[in-house]
Formats: sequence, structure tokens, C-alpha cells
Amino acid sequence: MNDNNILSVRGLKKSFGKLEVLKGVDIDIKKGEKIAIIGPSGCGKSTFLRCINCMEDPSGGSIFFNDVDLADQRVDINIHREQIGMVFQQFNLFNNKTIIENIMLAPVSLTLKKIKKAKRKNFFTKVGNIFRKNKKELIKITQTKAEIVENARANAEKLLKRIGLEDKADVYPSTLSGGQKQRVAIVRALAMNPQVILFDEPTSALDPEMVGEVLDLIKEVANEGMTMLIVTHEMGFAREVANRVLFMDSGIIAEQGTPAEIFDNPQNPRTIQFLKAVL
Amino acid sequence: MELFFEHFITKGGYKVALEGLLATAEIAVFGLIIGILLGTVIAIVRVMPKYKVLPRVLDVICNIYVALFRGTPMVVQLLVGYYVLLPAIGLRLDGVVVAVIIFGLNSAAYVSEMMRSGIQSVDIGQLEAARALGMPYAMAMMKIVIPQSIKNILPTLGNEFIVLVKDTSIVSFIAVVDITKAFRQIGDATYEYVIPYLFLALVYLVLVAGIAALVKLMERRLKKSERQ
Repeated sequence: MNDNNILSVRGLKKSFGKLEVLKGVDIDIKKGEKIAIIGPSGCGKSTFLRCINCMEDPSGGSIFFNDVDLADQRVDINIHREQIGMVFQQFNLFNNKTIIENIMLAPVSLTLKKIKKAKRKNFFTKVGNIFRKNKKELIKITQTKAEIVENARANAEKLLKRIGLEDKADVYPSTLSGGQKQRVAIVRALAMNPQVILFDEPTSALDPEMVGEVLDLIKEVANEGMTMLIVTHEMGFAREVANRVLFMDSGIIAEQGTPAEIFDNPQNPRTIQFLKAVL
Repeated sequence: MELFFEHFITKGGYKVALEGLLATAEIAVFGLIIGILLGTVIAIVRVMPKYKVLPRVLDVICNIYVALFRGTPMVVQLLVGYYVLLPAIGLRLDGVVVAVIIFGLNSAAYVSEMMRSGIQSVDIGQLEAARALGMPYAMAMMKIVIPQSIKNILPTLGNEFIVLVKDTSIVSFIAVVDITKAFRQIGDATYEYVIPYLFLALVYLVLVAGIAALVKLMERRLKKSERQ
């Protein structure tokens, strides 16, 4: 497999009952690419995005993320999901956590869980070492719990400062506007230092005047070199940010190319029809 | 009236009553705690995705459990537990302990149903967001979904507690002196039942009113915490 490809999707299929939503999607995505996915509603673009991190279990095909097939049931999907951020249409901030807790929760609890696991493994290695001639090496645990929490908090504060919401650190999500919620959701994904971020219609649930602030943040993240896939209805945004646009129709990628190719000179009649309707 | 108070105060009837009240409180509180813990586990098993074999087997076990404990009266469960199962395995336990266990097991069956609807009332997006960040299913449930569902079902949990408190009046079937039994003893000693039983009713009323007020307070607290 090509080393440059961070994601390679092969023959991806997904059915809900009898309804076949994805009918075999193939695509290679290089590190740092920004992919916009457009298409009529019901064409499977959100399903495609949700299959990439197995929020929907694929019915067939493979998803190679750094050469590991995520569609394989034996793969521990949780480890790889840490590397694949996701931003939802409905924000999905944790309602029972404050804003800063929302950002810190996953980094802290997942690191603590790993340490706990390492300690357990070390214990058995130590017991085993009593009987071994060649002593096995222990897993090094470098951080204490307090340090982990402190680092996560510092990082979360930095991220909040970046989106200008440091004064909202200790309030609950219900007090935030939609745009603020979505920006927090984006930095929550960033806090895991993912290699890819999936955006599932990030601005579709927002009031019109809040779309701009969210798109600006996404652009910023894009300019820092993050690999991203964005399902969107904002054609202007797709043209501006994406370096490749996928047009999906009835479960397949009907056409793909640079924004200029897709928006200015579409070839597929369905693309032409769709763009005529939305532009 | 004087007879009752004479017996209740000067002859130490209040001591028996207080001990009975303690037994009642112990059974109801510990029963509820067991019920919530076990009920949550059952509820999680029942809402778990069922691709694999283990969750399906667990689900069947939980279904049988709930059917068993909802399908028989608590008195029967107490009697079977105390007079049939315990002797059968040759174990002797204090009546209060047996009552706590049976009340807990029984309450778990009901709490599991409440908890299940509570879990299902939490937006699926909450679980998805947690899973998308890499949290395993159990962690996402414990940290995100369950705390929100408990808040949703707090009023019904309060009801369950009230039901438990009142249901403790049947534990005299297995020779536990609860508050009901204590007042019956006072009645038995004086051959005068009107005042003791009315007084008993009043005690239950006060207990239940107290719990109801407590639940309301907790509800308001939890609501406030989200609207700072």
C-alpha cells in the first residue's frame, strides 16, 4: 500500500435492512488532504463518513487507516477512533459536563485507562520475572495522575483561548449558542490530537449568522495541515477549503476532482443537475 | 389514648418503635441501593448492542430475572427466600439481611425497567460523541449516558423508594420487627388497636412526605447545576 495514503477505502458497502445505502465506495486519501463530500440528501454521504470510524458498521469492503483495516471485527476500533476526530451536525457536547470537562474528559480518562492497563501488565510481568532467566522489560509509566489531569487542563485552556471562549470554561453546554457549541465540539476533537477529522454537516444545524464563525475555525484547522473529510451543503466553503470534491449519488462516488473541475466544469449529468439546483 | 401513651412512653414502647423504624429504614435504603446498582447493570445489558453471543445470553438471563421478580408478590419472595432457599442451602441469616437482599433483588427488576427507559431517553448523539472520541462502550455509558439518565428518572426512582418504604410493612412475615410490627406489639399489649394503628399510619405519612421533599430538592439541585 502507498505510504502517502492515510485512508484507503475499498469497495465499502453499507445496508440498513434491505436498503443498500453505500454500493461500493473506493477512495484513497493522502495526508493533509481536505475532501469535501457533496450530493443530494439520501445519497449516502453521511453514512459514508460514519462508516470511516465505524460509527456504522460497514456491511462489506475495507477501510484502511494507516494500513489497518478498521472494518475487520478483530481490530480494536477504540484505539483508532482516538486518531479519527468527529464533529457532528448536532454538536453532541456532553450535557452533564462543563465545557472544559467536555474537552478534557476523553484525553484524561483514556490515558488513565492505558496506565491502569500498563500497571496490571507490569504486575504480571514482575510475577513472571521471578521465574524467568531473561527478565522481561516493564512498561515505563512516566506520568502521574495529577500530571495527566494538569496537562489536559492546560491543553484544554489553550484550546478554549484559541476560540475565545476561555470565560465559558466552567459553564454547561446548555448556556452556549449553537456556534459556540460547535466550536467547542471542534476543539474537543482537536484535544485528542487526531490524524484525521470527519465533519458531518457541521453547519447544518446552525442559525445563519453563526455559520461563519464555525467555518472560519474549520478553515484555520485546515490551514494547519489537518487531514479532513467534510460533508457539507456550503458550496462556497467547499470550493474555498477543499482540494478535492467528491460528488456522491445513490451510494457511489459519481464524480470527483478539484473544486474547479467539479464546480466549473462538471461532467456527470447528475452533478450538473445537482449543482444547478443548489448554486 | 392514655393507655397507648403510657405504654408507648413510660413502658418503653418507643424503644421498640424506634428499633422498628431503624429496621424499616435499613431495609428500604439498602434495598434501594442494591436495586439501583443491580438494576443499572441489568438495564445496560438490555440496551447493549447484540451482535455477539455473550450479550444475547446475558439478555435472556436478565429477561428471566425481571419476569420472575415482577411476576411474584414480594411476600412470596420473602417467604421462599427465608423458609425455602436458605434452609435448602443450610444457611442461617438474620431476617433483616434476608429482607434487604430480597428487597434489593425485587427492586432491581423494577429499577432496571426505569433505567432502561432513562437510558433510551438520552440522545443517542451523546453516546456517539463519546465513542467517536475512542471511549469504550462501558466507559461512555458510565461517564456520559448513565449520569444523564439517572437525572431523567430521579422522580420515578423517588417513587420506587416510597414504594419500598411502604412495602417493608410485610417483613414481619419473616420475623423481622419493623415499625408496623412494633406498633402491633403495642396494640397486642394493651388490647387497644385504634390509636397505635392511626399513629402508625401517621409515621408512614411523615416518612413518605420527607422522602418526597428530599427528591424534589435533589431534582432542583440537579437542574440548577446545568443552568449556571
